[in-house]
Amino acid sequence: MINLVYNEMLKIVRKKRLFIIAAIIAVLVGLFTYAQFKHVQEVQKRLGTNDWRTQLQQQIIDTQNRLNSSGISEEWRKFLQIRLQQQQYYLDHDINPSAPGAPTFMRMFVENSIELFVPLMVMVVVADLVSSEASGGTMKLLLTRPVKRWKILLSKYIAMVLSVSFIMLSLAVLSYLISGAVFGYGGWNLPLLTGFAVHGEELNTANVHMLPQWKYLLIELGLAWFVALVVGTLTFMLSVIMRSTAAVMGIMLAALISGAILSNMVSSWESAKYLFMVNLRLTDYISGTAPPIAGMTLGFSMAVLAVWGLAALIVSFFVFMTRDVY
Amino acid sequence: MTDTLVVQNLRKRIGKKEIIKGLSFTLREGEVFGFLGPNGAGKTTTIRMLVGLIKPTAGRISICGYDLHRQFSQAIRHIGCIVENPELYPYLSGWENLEHFARMLPDLPKERLHEVVTLVGLQNRIHDRVRTYSLGMRQRLGIAQALLGHPKVLILDEPTNGLDPVGIREMREFIRFLAEKEKLSVLVSSHLLSEIQLMCDRVAIMSKGEIIRIDDVEQLLKEQARVYWKATPIERAKVILAEQTAVLGEKDGMIVTFYEANQLAAWNEKLVQAGIHVSEIQPKLPTLEDLFIELTGGETID
Amino acid sequence: MKINSVKIITVLSILASGLWILGLGVMVQDQFFHQATPLPPKVATEAKTNDRTLHLVALGDSLTRGTGDETGKGYVGYLVDELRTKTKQPLQLTNLAIKGLRSAELVQQLRQPEVERQLKQADFVFMTIGGNDLFQGGEALRNLSFARIQQTKAMYLRNLETIFRTIRAVNPHAVVFYISLYNPFKQLNNGKTTSEIVRQWNYDSAEVAARYPNIIAVPTYDLFELHVNEYLYSDQFHPNKEGYKLIGERVASLITFTKGGEK
Repeated sequence: MINLVYNEMLKIVRKKRLFIIAAIIAVLVGLFTYAQFKHVQEVQKRLGTNDWRTQLQQQIIDTQNRLNSSGISEEWRKFLQIRLQQQQYYLDHDINPSAPGAPTFMRMFVENSIELFVPLMVMVVVADLVSSEASGGTMKLLLTRPVKRWKILLSKYIAMVLSVSFIMLSLAVLSYLISGAVFGYGGWNLPLLTGFAVHGEELNTANVHMLPQWKYLLIELGLAWFVALVVGTLTFMLSVIMRSTAAVMGIMLAALISGAILSNMVSSWESAKYLFMVNLRLTDYISGTAPPIAGMTLGFSMAVLAVWGLAALIVSFFVFMTRDVY
Repeated sequence: MTDTLVVQNLRKRIGKKEIIKGLSFTLREGEVFGFLGPNGAGKTTTIRMLVGLIKPTAGRISICGYDLHRQFSQAIRHIGCIVENPELYPYLSGWENLEHFARMLPDLPKERLHEVVTLVGLQNRIHDRVRTYSLGMRQRLGIAQALLGHPKVLILDEPTNGLDPVGIREMREFIRFLAEKEKLSVLVSSHLLSEIQLMCDRVAIMSKGEIIRIDDVEQLLKEQARVYWKATPIERAKVILAEQTAVLGEKDGMIVTFYEANQLAAWNEKLVQAGIHVSEIQPKLPTLEDLFIELTGGETID
Repeated sequence: MKINSVKIITVLSILASGLWILGLGVMVQDQFFHQATPLPPKVATEAKTNDRTLHLVALGDSLTRGTGDETGKGYVGYLVDELRTKTKQPLQLTNLAIKGLRSAELVQQLRQPEVERQLKQADFVFMTIGGNDLFQGGEALRNLSFARIQQTKAMYLRNLETIFRTIRAVNPHAVVFYISLYNPFKQLNNGKTTSEIVRQWNYDSAEVAARYPNIIAVPTYDLFELHVNEYLYSDQFHPNKEGYKLIGERVASLITFTKGGEK
């Protein structure tokens, strides 16, 4: 089995996909670091101070003003309401949620990339894992070895899991190293709050507690990995079913993008919460942002994702083991 | 001579259509067995069933005594194969490709890799990427990977397809070498009779999912070969030849008879004695089409 | 070399997998099994900074926010522009105004620790309040009820008292400019009545302001008296850019700098 996994890792590495992904991440992190840097400078110039309390207070006032404007959509109002309460909570407890530093940047990067960017990167590696063997004809060679079919697929699946871990690792390491050059490498022990629960328009702070940033980050990266794994498993299934890598990519892309769009407009379509793509923003539950559909919780979303992943895994193995190869 | 591959009543049905209709044949050690048939006769489907890529609807395949379905790993270990084109990983080098497949075999010593590379004569280019290989080199690399695990049965689907004449001859000699010196059973499929004739000991002729004939190549050819006589006056010649053998007909002003190598000279003598002017004696192998018309009684290739 | 890169990546990936699974474990323990102890609010303890920066804090409703000025500056913006020409000291403005704020809500806002902290640092405070109490978004004018306005005013004055008291308690030194109301409805058919109400309202508010040191009631009633329509935004309620400029200039004119100090 180790040999088989090694084979699959060899193929993934030699296709150079992982390096391309690392390069994409590096470029994006560079861009975002610069954008963030510009933003910080701009805010500082506008408010004439770099005191975060003043900045946060100003944000709260801005949000309140927006809430009082007419013509604001109900969902957006709710979202602002929750965020307002949370910002106020941070301010009341004298905790800066966005103190500069590489770990803070990492956290924001993970939170913003969990829904689309990370799944896209995973897709780039996983989409052709099986389909390329089918379309390239090497599948015939693989399946005529004295190795059972389920073992071959399992080795591919393990290689997929490892690649997902590697992608998350390069995301974490690269974003830390690159953003640190601008924002400094400190800030691991910064306190952050978690445990907010959203009930309608109210933010329940009964369970709020403090976490050091490193622990907070570890949790968020773990969740991002989980999301990436589920997306990877779904892509894997499509890759088993279809010969064409382009078709696999197309379907996954459509699903992911529709998820990003749906999360912004499904609050009235309740059963949409069983779709995997509206459940991808797991880190929102940690930071306490309102979920797209009322009643969604961290446990619920993880369960939905797990069920989708498991179903995809079963389908993959069933199809792969019983299919005739032409 | 022991049987290495035994196939009994093999069937495959896709939907309502039965595409393989009960094949039975046996491969012996050290022989080259030809699978002859036009495209679409079911050769490739049969081969895919033999190597476990397609599950048969019915029938048994056993390889060196192991049932392919129930003892897949033990059975498939004795088979080396190239199905259709030798497709390998183009982004890996030839050596890495071999290592890749070697890792899928239990306990294969590293020396074996060198052995097979030398056997197919790829020493010089083995560390280049497969992307840069010519078709002939890929074919040889394909055979190298097929031979890695010391198979007893080698299955090659259209091994000379796309090769140049020199390559075809090398491939033929190599296949004969494997059968005679290494004592492998080699199953070769082809749609060219000339190729089967030059390479194989026995041949199975397939048509529309059925084997219509299995026989020694020589026997088959002897039966089906013809001699064309160009002689004047033609009517007299026909009468004289009819006394010796059966005259099968007349084609393009030539008389067609059976082919019997050791009798030709004697028949010719009779004609000459009768004062007939013989200008051509042409022994002719049947074309595949002839053979089909002959064997199936009028069925044509389509 | 090539083989090694595969091995290194594989090993790294395995280690990373362990790390992410650990993260998930920490998450489960933290999110699902955590017994929370409520956090007590903590106030930033920071004395008034002694830097040379002049801290300006603006409080109140849409007027201070600048609603109606397409440049978004509002009178506070023009005021700061004016001040910049008068002094070389760096200015830092914090605008805490919220559209639609009423006096009772301002009382609430002043209780927030961060707002308190801002006030503590302030050298100048500018505020507008009461417009929403009085006009209630125009509602009160449609059926002018004298009794109800009296009632509203009494409540408003009590709140104003609290506001001034709070500010003074937090920061005894800052100069507070309380910008009083103008009558946007002068041109309407009951303009005479409304003008009277506004005048009375301003007078009573100024009386409250006068009870505290350094709280200055700045009139704007006169600015809009003659050409009210030229200075109003299209909503016929908020000032436009020109109107805000007038207010800003008037407040700015009240502030003079002597070398090295305020006032």
